[in-house]
Amino acid sequence: MTGSHDRAGSALRLVPSTAEAACPSQWFCGHCGAPPENNQTPAPPARVCGDCGLGLLIEARADAVPKANEAFLIVDGSLSVCALSATSERLLAVAETDVVNRPVMELLSPADAEASGPESLAAAIMWAARGEDEPRRVTVRPANVFGVRMPLRVGACGPPRAALLVFDDSR
Amino acid sequence: MRYLKTSEAAALLNVSPNTLRAWERRFGFPRPQRSPGRHRLYTHGEIAALRDALLDGLSISSAVSRAREGLGADTNALVGALNAFDGARADAAVEGALALRSLDRAVQEVLLTALDEIARRHGTDSVQWAFAARWGNGWLRRAQRLVSPSMQPIRIVLGDASRDDLDPDAAYVRALELLATRSGATVLGLSVRGVANMSEVLATHRPDAVVIAGSAQPDDAVARWAYAVRLATGPLPVAVFRRGAQRARVRTTGAAILPSTPGEAARHLMELATHSAASAVHRTTSPARMAADGA
Repeated sequence: MTGSHDRAGSALRLVPSTAEAACPSQWFCGHCGAPPENNQTPAPPARVCGDCGLGLLIEARADAVPKANEAFLIVDGSLSVCALSATSERLLAVAETDVVNRPVMELLSPADAEASGPESLAAAIMWAARGEDEPRRVTVRPANVFGVRMPLRVGACGPPRAALLVFDDSR
Repeated sequence: MRYLKTSEAAALLNVSPNTLRAWERRFGFPRPQRSPGRHRLYTHGEIAALRDALLDGLSISSAVSRAREGLGADTNALVGALNAFDGARADAAVEGALALRSLDRAVQEVLLTALDEIARRHGTDSVQWAFAARWGNGWLRRAQRLVSPSMQPIRIVLGDASRDDLDPDAAYVRALELLATRSGATVLGLSVRGVANMSEVLATHRPDAVVIAGSAQPDDAVARWAYAVRLATGPLPVAVFRRGAQRARVRTTGAAILPSTPGEAARHLMELATHSAASAVHRTTSPARMAADGA
């Protein structure tokens, strides 16, 4: 009898739940992508990566976090580059110190055929930098290269709040 | 000003000393000075600025950039004060810079940078430059007077080949004089236009090195002055500072070319003079010196 009640409870929900679906997050280094030691949440004054020492630990949704060897960059709400991974430096042939605080559009352009318009990349970044959780996917090319298409997933990260742009290797 | 050892600076930033050295290599920041034993010494102001920037930064690069911007505010404040012809505010801006940096760096990174900016923005024939150059040279002279007398037996003669206070090189020459004095040398500054009776002054101030600084005076005037010095003292190491386009010609004479920043130049000059003083201990009085004394 109790078992049938449980089955009915799980199948029939009279009042919609207001709780958001559990969405695990993960910390990673903004330069080498490595997770912190023991996957622990770092203390605010101790966010420098213990592995490479050249990046700060950033938190993002687990499905947005870059996998090993995936290039990524971090962009703030004003569309300025805040961080560039070591893999991205090689992929885009730039040095992080040269592009930090520069507009991301100097590095990446929407790939015309796939993009719905030039604002799609900017809009995806803006939404993510405002904290929208769900990663979006856009296609881009390096700003100075034609004929190259790179799928990009754009998610939220922080603190402080910013957009995480990962060159998607999964497709 | 407060200095921190590498371990103290690393503890303040919650990183390892190796990480701090890696940042210095990659970002050129924080930039330490060296103790007499060649150990790194960080200024507390730089480390504190970086720590604050790291707390709400997204990357080390952007934190470094923010910390640098914060430190660059002193230069902007000085440029603003000089543009407004406000000497008191300019003095206060340099005092503020000295709270975060050594004298060496405050002079190079704030005072000289601000003067360069005014010269670039308004030109050296502007009233802004006239005010700024006069104020800058005055400030450097005041600072020179406050330096405690040297305990080292190093003596340097500086041949000033700048035109006057409005010469853009003049402040650099003053800065070199100040920083060499701060490093422990007794510096005698002489205009290269005065040549007569050179042996009189050099009899009381026997130099270990000679430096010719500035580019406004022509080569023949500088050569006459250098010849008079050489006649009075015998062969001495000669260095050249900010001689501009004439560098290539001077290089063939065997003179050492000093770096164009006064701090680096003062360090090189001190090494040159110290080496010369050490070798002079073993040197007997040269015939040239005796000839000059007799003359």
